[in-house]
Amino acid sequence: MTTSDIDERLRALLQSGELPHRRAERVAADVRRRAARASRTATLRFDLTASSRGIARLRLGRGLTVAEGSGARAVADEAREQLRQYLAGERAFFDVPVDLAAVPPFQRAVLRSAAAIPFGTVRPYAWVAARAGNARAVRAAGTALGHNPVPLLVPCHRVVRSDGALGNYIFGPSLKERLLGLEHATPLYVGCTSTRIVCLHGCPHERRIGPDRRVVFASVAEARSVGYRRCKVCTRRAAAAGRNR
Amino acid sequence: MSLDEPTDASLLRGVARGRADAFTVLVRRYDGRFHAIARRMLGRDADAEDAVQLAFLRVLERARAYDPSWKGSTWLYRVLTNVCIDAWRRRRLDEPAAAPRTAVVQAVQAPQAAERIDVERALARLPGEARIILLCCYVGGLSYGEIARVRGISVNTVKTQLGRAKRQMRRHLEERS
Repeated sequence: MTTSDIDERLRALLQSGELPHRRAERVAADVRRRAARASRTATLRFDLTASSRGIARLRLGRGLTVAEGSGARAVADEAREQLRQYLAGERAFFDVPVDLAAVPPFQRAVLRSAAAIPFGTVRPYAWVAARAGNARAVRAAGTALGHNPVPLLVPCHRVVRSDGALGNYIFGPSLKERLLGLEHATPLYVGCTSTRIVCLHGCPHERRIGPDRRVVFASVAEARSVGYRRCKVCTRRAAAAGRNR
Repeated sequence: MSLDEPTDASLLRGVARGRADAFTVLVRRYDGRFHAIARRMLGRDADAEDAVQLAFLRVLERARAYDPSWKGSTWLYRVLTNVCIDAWRRRRLDEPAAAPRTAVVQAVQAPQAAERIDVERALARLPGEARIILLCCYVGGLSYGEIARVRGISVNTVKTQLGRAKRQMRRHLEERS
């Protein structure tokens, strides 16, 4: 078999005129409906409690901040800004520290497992329980996530039921569905075509990339394979935040 | 394309002005090819359908930012490939590598069906970046220069990726036969 045989086979497979010709009117109408749904994004306001170690509590509220300890106010302000960007689809990771000192050990292990779920994907409750060290404690894991002191920052909304149902959420199932929908439509790795650097979506450098210079990658390795290099800023920050969680 | 058919660029300008008919014409023109690419990236029809919708949604939202110095099709393929690559990232993470990939199976009655399935499987084993480049080339019929612009890489990288992808496919196919 030669490369030109491959060429011929690919042509036979991909240019055989078998492209499905569906009703464009229906597809266009579906897309417009989706556009109308997407624009209905209610603004959320959060009450934050921050210590010198990081964000200790996050709840839906009126936008109040309780900050105790040095640097707590700045961390809370940064968290608020990152949450705004996240909800606007402009950010795919958080790098503000969270303070889980008051959380019991098993719950902390569960929250750490949830924090390891990649952006835009979901895992079952059983997966989180197993990763937290007790595969049989599925319900306990659910309870631990239900009492997550810092939802969104620790993404407990990415944990779903094994049967495919979304399951419950601390801020209600409809917000869970909206968050997952938002992550589904937001890329994680964005490269700049002029600098050939790939960033996590939301990195200060990534935010400066012009609309026509944005190209999405599946991983840093995939980006490297076509001559891109990873950004030093967001990689380091995300790694530091991951250790902290 | 005949002379009186509107160009992609003029359709994109129409979409930017909110003209529904221009959007429908664009969808009719690209739906089949977009779907063919998305299906080979994502394996499942439902995922492909979702990715194509998301790509057209982005076209609708961003048509106003369309820069006419870009060829219309190049701009459209950039939008599609960005959506497909991220969907592929999520899909790959959802399914452990050990799980067998379901090949896209077509009418099994056709005499060349087995051969087609083999080619589909070999295609499905390519790395994402190489696969999307190959699909832009064969389904989209884009030139090397256009693919380079779509993926933000050099023309040389397009050539080496295509060459490597085809060699890899040949290896997969020879293993099977």
